[in-house]
Amino acid sequence: MAKAHIKSPVVGISATDKVFYLLVNTVLVFLFIVIAIPLWSTITLSFRPNHFIGTNFEGMFLAPWNWSNAAYKALLGNNGFIMAFFNSIKIMVYGVASALFLTVPLAYALSIRTLPGRVCIIVIILIPHMFDVGMIPSFLMVKDLGLIDKLAAVYLPTAVSTYNCLIMKGFFEGIPDELKESARIDGASEFTLLVRIILPLSKPIVMSVGLFYAVSFWNDFFHPMLYLNSNNLMPLPILLRNILMASGMNEFVEVSAFGEAPIQAIKAASVFLAAIPMVIAYPFIQRYFAKGTLLGSVKG
Amino acid sequence: MDASVSVPSSGKSLVRRIQRHRAIYVLLVIPITYFIIFKYIPIWNGQIAFKNFMPRQGVLGSAWIGFANFVEFFDSFYFWELLRNTVMYSVGKLLISIPLSIMLAIMLYECRITVLRKTVQTLAYLPHFLSWVIMYGILLGLLAPGDGLLNDIAKAFGGRGIDYLTNVQAFPWVVLLSDAWKEMGWGAIIFIAALMAIDPTLFEAAIVEGATAWQRVRYITLPSILPVIIMVVLLRLGTILSGGFNQLYMLYSPSVYSVGDIIDTWVFRGLQEGKFALATAVGLFKGLMGLLLLTFSNRMTRKVSGSSLY
Repeated sequence: MAKAHIKSPVVGISATDKVFYLLVNTVLVFLFIVIAIPLWSTITLSFRPNHFIGTNFEGMFLAPWNWSNAAYKALLGNNGFIMAFFNSIKIMVYGVASALFLTVPLAYALSIRTLPGRVCIIVIILIPHMFDVGMIPSFLMVKDLGLIDKLAAVYLPTAVSTYNCLIMKGFFEGIPDELKESARIDGASEFTLLVRIILPLSKPIVMSVGLFYAVSFWNDFFHPMLYLNSNNLMPLPILLRNILMASGMNEFVEVSAFGEAPIQAIKAASVFLAAIPMVIAYPFIQRYFAKGTLLGSVKG
Repeated sequence: MDASVSVPSSGKSLVRRIQRHRAIYVLLVIPITYFIIFKYIPIWNGQIAFKNFMPRQGVLGSAWIGFANFVEFFDSFYFWELLRNTVMYSVGKLLISIPLSIMLAIMLYECRITVLRKTVQTLAYLPHFLSWVIMYGILLGLLAPGDGLLNDIAKAFGGRGIDYLTNVQAFPWVVLLSDAWKEMGWGAIIFIAALMAIDPTLFEAAIVEGATAWQRVRYITLPSILPVIIMVVLLRLGTILSGGFNQLYMLYSPSVYSVGDIIDTWVFRGLQEGKFALATAVGLFKGLMGLLLLTFSNRMTRKVSGSSLY
């Protein structure tokens, strides 16, 4: 995050200030360690071999004689795991596509202050957002639509996030009116205006809102748990949960290749593999929220 | 679509304005239909809270029974337990993670070592993007009864191993601290944004006047971000009956239901057990209370900061 630091007009730092900065830096280093250790210990745990000797603490140093990629081999060579991975990708891709397809027009319409009926649309969107009737009425709706055990049941009910919609609306509102007016004078219809002028200008916000949607679809385990029964539709979070909940190797129905690596290593490796897409997407996401675009535009 | 050349003016008739935005209304057909099906049918279905719901008779066909479901819930022994647990986790998380986020934001703002600042910032935001399933996997490696990292350390110092996830005393702390670990960095972002909006001449003037770093934090930084702090607290109060379903559902087990069961997890088990109407009544109660709290906190936010989120 770019930040201009305040330069002290007085040369030198006083003794109390030195203590202050020392404390700030020490606490930040401490926080770094506190956040890093659980992540690091999970990664090192996933490389633990069957013949591992020592404590977990010693395991965190990844000695070459205590290192094995057997857990990853077992998981990546397993059909069930690969299938779950692709199911998750499917849910994410369909989900982001339908989410943007619904969110962009809605946000654009709400950003037009002269649109007759704008307040009415805002009310339609805010009522379900503020009044949450709970999971069972939604479950009955999905059941009545015949979507049980279909991937659509997982991504359609959550396809529009009011919060993301308001973020996007704030961005659209920030586009100068002169641009829209000049396009209108040149004879562009409202639809052409959106496709040819607004959307190309809004690439950053569409990308970042899309990424936020992608994260939530990838991480969702509640809706798959509620609506999917078939094993061949099972996404990664559900498989991961089954693997984590199993206390012994016999309980693995989906993944049969266990035994080559210790059970904790299999668990840690599946955690790491499930987190990888997020870790890859993270720098891109961070680029957007670090700019403050998201926060600044919520209140439009 | 015609090419109507126009300049917006307030004098234009409503019909002309509607005509000019025709394409927008066409664009809105699908999203609004979506809202009616996926958001308003559930609200309509909420009526089963007042019915003796039989799946085979459907939402409309089931008989009305008034407030019987609500009475059953309020009279039950688990009502106060659920309410207590839910509020305990919401308030506990608020009390732990908001001060931590403020501290982190101020420290990041004050830190003059760029590498340290950027590293901590990047790492602190990351856990927000990990799901609670993944978090559960990470916590298992730390807290497992026999061979978790934390128990290893406890044993090395001569302590006994505890199964943190099934121990009634330890479980609430696992919930509160793991949430703080995951969300502290993300929660700091809004405070960092507020800090960057402070007029730097204030600090320059303070330095000229001989203020120490402590005094700058105490008398400039904190008062400047106070409205944002109040806003964040108020908005969090609006969701006080949520408590964090994903987290508790992943972490809890029957042995810690007494301290781990919140309204949402109870409703979910009600769904699994087929207690549709009763669980809907509980969900509706939560939704109505949430609406009241949100309206209240929104109004308070408007008073404090001059603008509200909605």
